[in-house]
Amino acid sequence: MFVSDEDLMMDCKKGDMSAFELLVRRYQDAIINYIHFSINDYHRAEDLAQETFLRVFKNASRYEVKASFKTWLYTIATNLTRNEIRNRARRNTYFLEDLVDENEDVYHSVYMIDESLQPDLLLERKERQQIIKKAIKMLPENQCIALTLVTYQELSYEEIAEILNCSLGAVKSLIHRARQNIKDILIKLGIGDTINEKIY
Amino acid sequence: MKKSISTECDNIAPQLSAYFDRQMPVWKRHLMKRHLNQCAMCKSRLQSIQQADKLLKSVEPVKASDTFLSEVLHQAANIKKTKKIRESNINRIGSRIENMQLWLRGKVRAYNPIFMFGFIFAVFVMVGATLYSASIKDFNPFPQFVTKSTETEHHKLITFEVIQQQEPKRILKSR
Repeated sequence: MFVSDEDLMMDCKKGDMSAFELLVRRYQDAIINYIHFSINDYHRAEDLAQETFLRVFKNASRYEVKASFKTWLYTIATNLTRNEIRNRARRNTYFLEDLVDENEDVYHSVYMIDESLQPDLLLERKERQQIIKKAIKMLPENQCIALTLVTYQELSYEEIAEILNCSLGAVKSLIHRARQNIKDILIKLGIGDTINEKIY
Repeated sequence: MKKSISTECDNIAPQLSAYFDRQMPVWKRHLMKRHLNQCAMCKSRLQSIQQADKLLKSVEPVKASDTFLSEVLHQAANIKKTKKIRESNINRIGSRIENMQLWLRGKVRAYNPIFMFGFIFAVFVMVGATLYSASIKDFNPFPQFVTKSTETEHHKLITFEVIQQQEPKRILKSR
C-alpha cells in the first residue's frame, strides 16, 4: 500500500522513526543529485543532504499539510545549496572534484566493470560529463537551481515557483534564459557543436 | 505576411522551453504546434533545446552512499533523545509549579476564616493608608528615605512669580 509523503510526515510528527526512514529512503538519491548538480561536489552534497533531512526531522512539529512535502523538502535543500554557493564564492573555494578529475585513474574506476566499454570512449564520456557539470555550475545561482530542478528532478514550473518563492512567469523566463546560457557555455567549452541553432 | 510571422516567432520563442517541458495549457500547446509545423526557424530552435536537454541528461546521476541512511537515522535518534531530555526537564519544572499551585489551592481556600481575615485586613490597611495619609501632616511611614529637611520643602512652596501689567501705549478713544 502506497502511503503519501504528507501522511508519512504526519506520522513523523508524532515521533514515528520508521516513517522518517521511509521518507529518507524515498528522497535521498534525488536530494543528493540535486545538490550535487548545483555545487559539483559529491561529499559536500551528501553532507548538505544529511543536513536537509535533519532539518526536516527537527521541524516536523511545525509541518502542516497545507504545503506539499516535496516542495518543502526542496525549499530546505535549495536554501542550503544557495548558502553553500555563496560561501564558496566568498571563499573562492576550488572544488575537490575539479582538481582530482584531471589526474584520476579512469582505467580503474567503476566504469571498467563493464568490459564492453572501450577506455578511450570511457575517458571521453567522463570528460564530457565533467564539462557539463562545470557548465551548470557556471550559470547564475537562480538559473542553475531552476535548470537543475526542471531537468534532473523533473519538477513542474508551479513547484519550482513555490520553491524559489517567485511567480510562474519568472520561472518560465528563468528556465528559458538558463537554457540559452547553458547552450552558449557548452559551445564555448567545446561540446555544444551539435547545437547549431541559437535558442533565441 | 513575413513581418507577421516574425512577430509571431518573437512571441513564441520565449515560450519554447515551457512547450518543451509540457508546462502550458493544451490549447496553447496546440497553437504552438501549428506554428512549429509552419515555421522552420522555430522548429530548429526547439530542436536545439531538445539537444541541449539531451546533453544535460547524459550526465549519470549519483547515488547515496551505503552509510548515508544509517548516519541520518543515527543523528535523528540523537536529536530525539536530546529533545526528550529537554522536554523532561521543562516538564519537571512545570509539574513542580503545578504542585505548588495545587498545594496553595488546597491550603488557602476562600472559605478559610484565617485567609478571609487576612484578606479583609490587608484591604482595609491599603484603603486606609491611601485615604488618610494626605490628611495627616507629618505622616511618613519610611523616615529613613527622607534626605531633605521639611523646611526647604516649605520654602520651595512659598516661591511664586509676580507678573506686572504694563500700561498700554495708545488708548483708544470713542468718538
